[in-house]
Amino acid sequence: MNHACRREAEVVRAAGQDRWTDELRAHLAACDDCMQAAMVAPWMERFSRISDREHLLPDPSIVWLKAKLLQNNADVSRASRPLDIVQIVAYAVVAGGWAALLTWRWEAVKTWLAGFTPTAIVSNAARAESLSMSFFGLLFVLASFTVMLALHTILAEE
Amino acid sequence: MFASMTLPAPLLVEARTRSGKPDPMDEARFETFYRRTAGSLWSYLYRLTGDGAVADDLLQKSFFRFLRANPAVASEEHLRRWIFRTATNLAFDHFRETKRERARSEATARSESGPPMEAREVLRHDMMKTFSELKPRERALLWLAHVEGADHEDISEALGVKTRSVKVLLFRARKRLGELLTKKGLAPEVKR
Repeated sequence: MNHACRREAEVVRAAGQDRWTDELRAHLAACDDCMQAAMVAPWMERFSRISDREHLLPDPSIVWLKAKLLQNNADVSRASRPLDIVQIVAYAVVAGGWAALLTWRWEAVKTWLAGFTPTAIVSNAARAESLSMSFFGLLFVLASFTVMLALHTILAEE
Repeated sequence: MFASMTLPAPLLVEARTRSGKPDPMDEARFETFYRRTAGSLWSYLYRLTGDGAVADDLLQKSFFRFLRANPAVASEEHLRRWIFRTATNLAFDHFRETKRERARSEATARSESGPPMEAREVLRHDMMKTFSELKPRERALLWLAHVEGADHEDISEALGVKTRSVKVLLFRARKRLGELLTKKGLAPEVKR
């Protein structure tokens, strides 16, 4: 049987206050659960009464205020979650854009970068033809987007 | 039912909006509920954790969760059960996360070589030490059953165990405490 003995509460009370009746004592003889309860009840009673009242509980108005502040913070972070997701997507798009652009014209970029010295820039200016205007256009758009994203991240953190 | 739950009527009235959803608890009702509950909840958490600062922290967290969840108000008894269950979960999470049990045992061992205590302090210290030798769940079971007067159903709800397991768990917890008390010569003579 897994049900509590219906006299358990009575036994706990009697043991805690040391007020036994003959009937309850007789019940103890037949009930192991109540016997165990009676064994520890006086100690638990004393234990519950040891003073901890010198401890001051936080004021309810403080708890209320803190809870409201936490709630507001939670609301703010919930509201800004879509923005966070957009930001992560933007990082991914920019990184992907750079990777795609460089992969697309890697050989030409490598050559262009290899001659990226003051004299070579002048003498090899003609070679830049290998990088089309559309490439430079894309480069400009992507660079602008990267700068905007970086500024947004910095300003948002501040 | 929790024994300390005989309450005046005003708080038992459930505030509901026209849509049928419970109204958020206002500050005055919260304050009433807090004043009736916080003391016994703190005592429970303090006995469970053996640490006043941790009990403070868990008490506040319990009430923060309570206000955030705004549980449907059937009665104060229901709210009280709710907050004891939340506090128990938080305390068990705390034990799991910080392994506080071990740290506290070490702290207790250190404090034994500290300055002499008053008789009342010695008693409190000894009782807390004895109680801390039980497992957290055993402490919760004993406190809820003996001090809060919770029945098996309430205990099962607070501890997240099946109602039919409470009888066995409580029996074991009492047996363990009985053994500890016997070992320390504190067990009462119970005449059959």
